[in-house]
Amino acid sequence: MGVTVLQPYPLPEGKSGAHIIDHLGKRLLSLGATHAGQFLVDCETFISTPQHGTPTRAVHVLHDSEFPASTFSIIDNGTGKQVALVADAIFDLLMLKMTSTFTSKKQTKIESRGARFEYGDFVIKLGSVTMMEHFKGILIEIEYRPCITLSYCWEMIREMLQGFLGINVAKEYPTYFTTQTIMNAMGQQQLHAKQNDLYEPMDTVKQYLEHFTNYRKHVQLHGGLGSSGLSVNGPVLMPSTVVGVGMGRS
Amino acid sequence: MSNSVNISVETTCENQIREIAYDGTELYQPPPTLSESLAKCAARIDFSKTSLDDLKKEEKSAAAAEDKEDKDNQFQESLWPWDAVRNKLKDAYTEICVLSDVISIAKDKRYLVLDPLLEDGDDTKAIVQVYSRKKALSQAAQVLLGGAERLRTAHSEQRSRNVSDFHIELLRLRQNWRLKKVSNGAIIGDLSYRTAGSKFGMSGTFEVTKAEDTLDEEGGAGTSATASAASSASSSNNGMQLKASSALRVIVPAELQGVAYIKVITQKDQEDLCTAQVNLMGHGPNITAQVGVWQKTLEFAQNVLFCKELFAQLAREAIQLQAPIPHVVIGNQIRATLLPNIQLIISLCHSTSFDSSQPAPINDHDHVLEHSLHQLLREVHYKNSHHPFPHPASAPLGPSKKRMLAGPTAADREALLDMTKTQTILEQIIAQAQHIFMRKRTQYVLDTLARDVKDPQIVSHWNAMNSPTMSCVKINIVTHGYDAIGRTSLVIHVKERSLKCICRDGRVMRLSYEPQELRDLILCQINSHQISCLVSLARCMAWTVLSNSNHLGIGKVEPLGNASSCLLASPNSDRMIAVQIRCDPQIDVKVYIARSPRQDFFPSPLVPEKFWENLGGNFKEVRFDKIEGKSFLNKMEFLMASLTSNTA
Amino acid sequence: MAISSARESLSLALNNRFLPNLEYLLQGSILDTAVEHLMHRLKGLCDNVDTSPERFHDLEVCMSLRQPTSPQPLLLRVRRALGQDAPFQMRYLGQPEVDMRRPTLVRSCMDCACTNGILDFLTEMGFRLEFEYIAKGYMFRKGRMKITVSKLIKIVPGKQQDMANEPISQSYIVELSVVAPTGQENVGEEMRVFAEQLKPLVQLEKIDYKRLGNLP
Repeated sequence: MGVTVLQPYPLPEGKSGAHIIDHLGKRLLSLGATHAGQFLVDCETFISTPQHGTPTRAVHVLHDSEFPASTFSIIDNGTGKQVALVADAIFDLLMLKMTSTFTSKKQTKIESRGARFEYGDFVIKLGSVTMMEHFKGILIEIEYRPCITLSYCWEMIREMLQGFLGINVAKEYPTYFTTQTIMNAMGQQQLHAKQNDLYEPMDTVKQYLEHFTNYRKHVQLHGGLGSSGLSVNGPVLMPSTVVGVGMGRS
Repeated sequence: MSNSVNISVETTCENQIREIAYDGTELYQPPPTLSESLAKCAARIDFSKTSLDDLKKEEKSAAAAEDKEDKDNQFQESLWPWDAVRNKLKDAYTEICVLSDVISIAKDKRYLVLDPLLEDGDDTKAIVQVYSRKKALSQAAQVLLGGAERLRTAHSEQRSRNVSDFHIELLRLRQNWRLKKVSNGAIIGDLSYRTAGSKFGMSGTFEVTKAEDTLDEEGGAGTSATASAASSASSSNNGMQLKASSALRVIVPAELQGVAYIKVITQKDQEDLCTAQVNLMGHGPNITAQVGVWQKTLEFAQNVLFCKELFAQLAREAIQLQAPIPHVVIGNQIRATLLPNIQLIISLCHSTSFDSSQPAPINDHDHVLEHSLHQLLREVHYKNSHHPFPHPASAPLGPSKKRMLAGPTAADREALLDMTKTQTILEQIIAQAQHIFMRKRTQYVLDTLARDVKDPQIVSHWNAMNSPTMSCVKINIVTHGYDAIGRTSLVIHVKERSLKCICRDGRVMRLSYEPQELRDLILCQINSHQISCLVSLARCMAWTVLSNSNHLGIGKVEPLGNASSCLLASPNSDRMIAVQIRCDPQIDVKVYIARSPRQDFFPSPLVPEKFWENLGGNFKEVRFDKIEGKSFLNKMEFLMASLTSNTA
Repeated sequence: MAISSARESLSLALNNRFLPNLEYLLQGSILDTAVEHLMHRLKGLCDNVDTSPERFHDLEVCMSLRQPTSPQPLLLRVRRALGQDAPFQMRYLGQPEVDMRRPTLVRSCMDCACTNGILDFLTEMGFRLEFEYIAKGYMFRKGRMKITVSKLIKIVPGKQQDMANEPISQSYIVELSVVAPTGQENVGEEMRVFAEQLKPLVQLEKIDYKRLGNLP
């Protein structure tokens, strides 16, 4: 268990996702990384049936194959407050008991799956994101296992990322770590920088949720699938870490 | 019925026949109801006769009369059933009325006077009453005392004859063993470890019976002198007839009879390195003396069961385990390879007939391994029966504590995989045996080195606290008399198949199980110890260290160290000492000296001037073994001192 | 080698009957004065007789969610061990099924261990507090059977940890339960035999709550 950073990989024009993934995988292998199985992160969102007086609530249920015994869920009560929960895998069945109150939005079921590589202390996962069998983009997960505080190992992760992705990664910490709001003792929300906190598995899941939400919103903006009036909650932050777009090496 | 012949009449078991039809069918009268029979009984009471004798007579006559009455009843069916009773009560009432009238008249003493008939009511005096009671009580006490005396004599007689009571024995048996009574009256006991968590299939039931009387007689003759003989007899004839004075007999199934033990041998080639014998005997308090000889029988049988379970478990694991050199299970023997040429042999010995020619218990057995085998099986039992309780209480029963936490703490795949792995008993035993062997080997190497190498001294401290698969030794290398100048210390962790050496400078070296590697390492450490001490000593004596090297790279190149050397110059730089220490195959010290300028100078055509001599001269080897001194450092000190004084 | 999603493996476990999702339950009660006798008998009957009985001290909070489609609210029970660092347990219990042919009450049951944000989470989902109480007592096990002897303690609102909370009655509730996958009918019989052995100290029965509700 270490620190994980999620990095979306910009798709260059005229290239297919499978091609890029294949290319990146080959690069990793030639670096000396070993192929170590597959991975899958999926997310399903349940929306409460609208009742007068209460805002629409959304429950995001995520699974990560790296934590096979757990189900992660994050509730967004519509006013910006989020509560996260880690539970046994059976939590999924409990959600099904509430189908009359919380209905699953099947068309927004989104997942990232792909190959998993190990390279020394790093674990790298090349995920292709699909929603309803439609390819949405590439998400690269990189984990540095010996450390659990981002600020101590960010530089190393960044260098590693730049090394095999061939793109420039901004020097600043990823936005997930800098823009978290927490509740203080007085019950007020305040901005909190997370890079010095101990990293938890929930952080990985929250990063995935953030990116998944972006992909869904993207669909909505382009009038693709989400024409059913789905309201994606919470402020959505476009990742600002991707600065240099384009391949460093041909 | 009314003639003079006496006949006895009994009520028939069945109901009375009311009518016999023409075809012979008998119609029965329905049995009287409760109220009818009550009325009938009430009618029989003769209220006029109340004394016991009268009643008895009455019974006879009533029985005779009954038949008559029955006949009558048939004719007086219409009468109210309680009529006779009412009449009699009425008569009684009349009598009571008359009596009360008489008494009331007598009270007036005008018409009637009541006089006592006889003067016999006097003895109701208190003192007489007390006396009579006392007498009655003393008689009763006499009876009780007599009875108690009889019981006591019977009891003491029984004890003196040493005839034990079956039930007392059974009670004692019940206190130590699980017994139950089965339907046909037999008593079945269970000596298996199932209640302690064992899942071994073999049944451990035994039967408890009462010994025959003839045996009792024999036992009575044998008496108490044969306590030890009896126990040996019982051990030899498990389940056979016990020749001891026990009224209770236990019958153990044939497969649990006899004596069994598990023999563990560590073997190098064909030579036994250490052996261990595992059985349960002699563990726990000996309670045979307090209870019966059957205790011994059952303990032996339980031991057989334990050994069989242990062996069965080990054999199963040996077959399942995927070892680089496969384990071999043949008959009652398991062979596993610990290290090259070294084998662990575990065998189950079970003999049903006890003979005195059996080899005497081996004195040189390995208590540790023995204990571990026991402990490991017990641990398996314990784990089978002791599951952690869930908290909070509504959580499911079964998963381990770690697994319960895995969900909410988001345990990753590796952690979950680790939870499923467990070490089998055989693996643990092999690991422990390997460790024992490695430890012995390390001890041997260190001890022989300490014996062979007198200078410097090698002192090893073994940690008293260690785990079954890891121990730790600290080694100090010092030179006697020069302890303050230098000391080399290193720590060796002895594991299952490897050693880990940690030196003072932080270097960590991993050695294999080959003893030569450790030997080489220690020799190299001695080398560097000598050189580093010499350097410190030289500084103390104001000599200059020109160079020193711990790894000259000459001779056999070892990965752990090599020959080392050192070059010293005297305070005024006119003399030099060169030292080289090699460590292969044993420590070899070479010392050379050179002086410049030479004191005697003879000019030659090539070297015309004396100052050329300052360039340094030829090194001459010193016959180091001839130098005065106890140790290398001592000799060097003398050498340096003499060279220094020469120049002065 | 494609990796299967969590949902797939869960439904696999359900279909192959790995997942224990039925609770077989017998209940009874015993007066405080007689509970010592019951404890002695349980010590004799249950596993691990050599150690002292396991104590527990839990806080149970029952949360309800009104459902638009049915008049019955959805109830979830969240239990937490007081004075122990253990995950919270969320429990869903289905409608009890009192079948005359079965020796025990059977109800569907789901146990889910959660992080301690669960109460907050449920509140945000719209659940409301139904009732709460403290259960304190002893646990035993016999094979896969769990026997709890617990004292239920009323909670003065806002004083969960307070020792001043009073017991609800002068007796202990005794529960004998097994959580097993579907299709294991012999569980009930096993429990019935065990319950027989606790008679006459405690009469373990299948209690029909629906009928209890109709009592005056």
